[in-house]
Amino acid sequence: MTYVAKKCGVCFQPPSIILIYKDDSEDKTRQRIMPVRNFSKFSDCSMAAEQLKNNPRHKAYLEGVSLRQLQKLYSLLKGHLRGESLAESLEKFQEEETIDPEEDMNKLDDKELAKRKSIMDELFEKNRKKRDDPDFIYDIEVEFPQDEQLESCGWDVESGEEI
Amino acid sequence: DAGAQARQGQAASPRGPTQDEAAAGAEETVKIICLGDSAVGKSKLLERFLLDGFRPQQLSTFALTLYKHRARVDGQAVLVDFWDTAGQERFQSMHASYYHKAHACIMVFDVQRKVTYKNLNSWYKELREFRPEIPCIVVANKIDADMKVTQKSFNFARKFGLPFYFVSAADGTNVVKLFNDAIKLAVAYKQNSGDFMDEVMRELESFDLQKESETLSDKEESCPEEKLPSA
Repeated sequence: MTYVAKKCGVCFQPPSIILIYKDDSEDKTRQRIMPVRNFSKFSDCSMAAEQLKNNPRHKAYLEGVSLRQLQKLYSLLKGHLRGESLAESLEKFQEEETIDPEEDMNKLDDKELAKRKSIMDELFEKNRKKRDDPDFIYDIEVEFPQDEQLESCGWDVESGEEI
Repeated sequence: DAGAQARQGQAASPRGPTQDEAAAGAEETVKIICLGDSAVGKSKLLERFLLDGFRPQQLSTFALTLYKHRARVDGQAVLVDFWDTAGQERFQSMHASYYHKAHACIMVFDVQRKVTYKNLNSWYKELREFRPEIPCIVVANKIDADMKVTQKSFNFARKFGLPFYFVSAADGTNVVKLFNDAIKLAVAYKQNSGDFMDEVMRELESFDLQKESETLSDKEESCPEEKLPSA
């Protein structure tokens, strides 16, 4: 039996992760409430997310929910436990989840680099055409003529080159 | 047919086919390296091209992933070694071995991050220090994130007279074309190499082989060019 995850969210009181999903064998939308236990404002969100995702009771249901999303939900809960407002927690996210286009990632260590990659992977996965998608085409060729009339990308201006 | 292939193989290699080559049916072997900053999508491009046909071989100490691919160029079988390298600075000392005997280069930047475009300058400079003549393709990846970039001009490639491709590893745009063109360029380069250093290398190799066969019992010094241990 396969479950198709539709939405996944967090409830602060009582603390729980809530999944809206569809059961493949029936045409019905269901809700699953997964209570959050042993979680405090000092807990590790990635660990909690991993434990939930690997929990034998919930595993099959959470297949379509990314670890990253679960981590996010746990950190919202953590923010709440710390007394932050939802708006504050979300803003913090925004900061953590944006890629600084000026940052030289060649200088990062493996852990920091992996963090950036997982942020960028979100868009990659969203736009990704997978091999088993019905409209997958292996060889897609699109011509983008690069002629002189095009507007410049703005990245070619060399600052201080003439000095 | 096999005979024609064997003749072609012979023509391509001045020292004549070795036993290995004969066994492989005069398969041409080329090495293509992927360069560019960390997280521009080099591995994802390779994975999109190869799908899951070939399991890569990981050499983590060298921050290097090797992908093997079999292709056909004008009827000739070609074995391609793709070298996917890490962009992180701490692996810079390893670069000499990445470049060693490469036949083409794919140089990638991320259209979402200016710094990766700016850094093409240093990647290109380093490439030309080691491989002054090999074909190099400049690749603007992640166009799926913002299609508007494909309406803009990126002058780096034009400045150096290099081919330029807009691609997306996510939706697949121009990925297969990119790699197939790179393979063709690599084979053409290998077979009509005008690279002086390459000529020298070949001379040295055939010299070594001759000596080895003449003095089989003598223990030869290992080739100084070999930077990577044979795994």
